[in-house]
Amino acid sequence: MNDAKNGDARLEALAKRLGASAAERLDVEATARKVLAGLREQPSSRRTWIEVHWLRIAAAIVLLIGGGIAVRRIVPVGSGTAQHSHLVADDLGDLSADELKDVLDQFDEIVGSASLMLDSTDLRELDAQQLRAVLRSLEG
Amino acid sequence: MAQPHQITAPSDAALIAAWQSGDERAAAELVGRHARPLARYLSGAGAPDAEVDDLVQETFIRAFRAVDRFRGQCQFRTWLLTIGGNVLKDYGRRAGRRKWMPLDESARDASGDPHERAVASEAEARLAAGVKTLPRLQREVFLLRAQQGLEYEEIAAALATTPGAARVHYHHAVRRLKEILT
Repeated sequence: MNDAKNGDARLEALAKRLGASAAERLDVEATARKVLAGLREQPSSRRTWIEVHWLRIAAAIVLLIGGGIAVRRIVPVGSGTAQHSHLVADDLGDLSADELKDVLDQFDEIVGSASLMLDSTDLRELDAQQLRAVLRSLEG
Repeated sequence: MAQPHQITAPSDAALIAAWQSGDERAAAELVGRHARPLARYLSGAGAPDAEVDDLVQETFIRAFRAVDRFRGQCQFRTWLLTIGGNVLKDYGRRAGRRKWMPLDESARDASGDPHERAVASEAEARLAAGVKTLPRLQREVFLLRAQQGLEYEEIAAALATTPGAARVHYHHAVRRLKEILT
């Protein structure tokens, strides 16, 4: 019983010494300066990641939907449900240079139309309802 | 007769609030209070000596950025130590299979009887090596309890477990480390 207690006490005493030399060597003031410098300089990686990915997703949605609408306005693609499964890239690949230019003009018109003019032009600042409105307006 | 003016140091909570309001001196004060215990913890958990400074800085930067998520469920230092554990884990991943350097023997306390010092150094080195072999939760509970002197309730709150489970992890760790030391 005493052996066990002595063993525990010895272990705890040793544990308290663990890392003591590393702590003594640490220059606390320099650490504080470096931490503050790091906080000032480094952008928050998580925030940056979210912003970049959100912008990519938003851009992809706008291109897919807007591109599809623009293509449909220039090149009628028949009726029925088949057109919904059409890939925008497939349509674009079949267009001539002049038709492609028309598509881009149409697309600019859609993206720049009054229906999209909200209080903010920054997609990141829109709430879910405003985003739905943007998507509805892109659907034509 | 006028009473001597008593100056009480602001609490961690007050410093955190000041930092959240943009007071950098408050952040520096928090670093001053907790950097050494954090360095001890990281070193005890297996951080190479050459990396301790950088890991301490990274832990503070991560903690200050996430301080809005600190709800006072445990002491700020305990929360900081758990973030340090995550920083060390990430470092270990980055280091991959690279073997960590052993503790720097030359930098240890050189006072006292040379024979006792040699025995203590050897035991300490074996303990340090043993702590590294523990499962992560056992290692963290052991260090928080034995090295930092925290109560099971505090450890449980920091590690999102129960005091009973923390106690079990501690006893498993102690049993394993005793086997290594004997």
